Amino acid sequence: MLRYTTADDSLPVLFRKPRCVPRIALQVHPSDNVVTLIDALVDETRTRCGLALRDPIAFGHKAATRTIAEGESVIKYGVTIGRATRPIEVGDHVHVHNCC
Amino acid sequence: MSTSIIAADPPPGFAGYIRADGRVGVRNHLALVSTVALANRIAELSAARFDAARGPGTDPVLRIQGEFQRGLQTADAALQDYVLFRLISHPNVGAAVVLCHDLSTAQRWIARLKGQTTSVLVLAVMAYHGINDAITQTVNALTALAALLKPMQRDWCGFSRLTFALECGGSDASSAICSNPAIGRFVDRAVALGASVIVSETAEFIGGEEVVRAQSANGDIAERIIERIARTESRMTSDGDRYRGTNPTSENIEAGLTTLVEKTMGALCKIGRSPFVDCLNFGQPATQPGLSFMDTPFFSPCSITGMVAAGAQITLFSMGVFNPSGNPLAPTLKVCGNPDTVSRWSDGIDVALVDLLEGRINLDAAGERVMEAVLGVAGGERTHTESWGEGQFMIPRELPTF
Repeated sequence: MLRYTTADDSLPVLFRKPRCVPRIALQVHPSDNVVTLIDALVDETRTRCGLALRDPIAFGHKAATRTIAEGESVIKYGVTIGRATRPIEVGDHVHVHNCC
Repeated sequence: MSTSIIAADPPPGFAGYIRADGRVGVRNHLALVSTVALANRIAELSAARFDAARGPGTDPVLRIQGEFQRGLQTADAALQDYVLFRLISHPNVGAAVVLCHDLSTAQRWIARLKGQTTSVLVLAVMAYHGINDAITQTVNALTALAALLKPMQRDWCGFSRLTFALECGGSDASSAICSNPAIGRFVDRAVALGASVIVSETAEFIGGEEVVRAQSANGDIAERIIERIARTESRMTSDGDRYRGTNPTSENIEAGLTTLVEKTMGALCKIGRSPFVDCLNFGQPATQPGLSFMDTPFFSPCSITGMVAAGAQITLFSMGVFNPSGNPLAPTLKVCGNPDTVSRWSDGIDVALVDLLEGRINLDAAGERVMEAVLGVAGGERTHTESWGEGQFMIPRELPTF
């Protein structure tokens, strides 16, 4: 099933952990190669999942969890949402400047 | 001896306006419909004079403004007429003044509206003696109809009498995580209770074809919807621009959405898990309860107009970054889980879901919160868009305008 659904309550559990210092990065689907940052700690580079961010990333924007070669799929919700227009490193901000 | 007759868990319902033909309204609007742009200013001045005379505490006249009508080719002219007709006879309209420019158009509308249960007075500007006279006559017509509305009372109605329009605006990551899936939960419940739900914005299904296939009642419905998506995509790319994967709006991009497919996958979270039961044309009423797809442009004032013309009495509007849009005829509930938007635009948000994002409630509770808000609004509570008088009607055109 390609469809993303938050049917389970896994998302809320993420937030029950104390001390919100490292950033919350949400991976929607197990095959995704990006995560979505869902807090406003733009200057913080550490995330709870252990991913080190290489750019300041705003609320709702994405970071790469794997190296993505130019032309390779950017995957979110388990589907190809776009292609890398230049090589993307782990922790890079993924957006219109390197994906279309 | 007394016997308890209170059911353990009564099905939800609301106090609505039951029309003579059985349709149910959640509002009892006095509408002033100008059928063509030529009559809009006189309609505006008439509504202002009428509202001022009625004073504070009364609902203002609901104005529906026509645009073209003239200079349109067959299909477009027919759609303008059809949508205006559907809005005049919408269940949330208690009575309507229809203001035309010329006499023959007025005669046509009188014939068209014959047999409708909604009380309608049709006027033609050209029948009067000066602008002031036209305004006075329009105000007189509004006054006569207002008297008819006064005694109308709300009665208890079952939830299944409702049709909902689903819409996204200002989509961002929070839309996909909070407002859309919360609305999806509500949709599952609404469909289980026998209501009708319409989702539209064909362009925002591009990339979601597999979801449509997996979630249609049968293959025929899936193919009809996918054919509309493909047609829209081919039109969007006909100018050589590569829209697919590059066409979220500028505010979507600022909010972090990179491609149209990403936006689509988030938007699809609002349909819940019910199967599509039909594929509708712009403004076409649902043929059966359940979830229906409607082929519309993606711009929200236009797509909502299509779903409201179909008879939706309430609009659920999922919002990430702020978007003021709403529909004046079908009260629009703004649902939002973006903490920044909720803190900055609290006077424009009806259902805040920041606690869903923060993990203090789960999706079931969020869906329940949407349901409670919907029942309140169905029973007469005002939405923010209603209190601001926000809202637009927009009828699409496909052919050249002459």
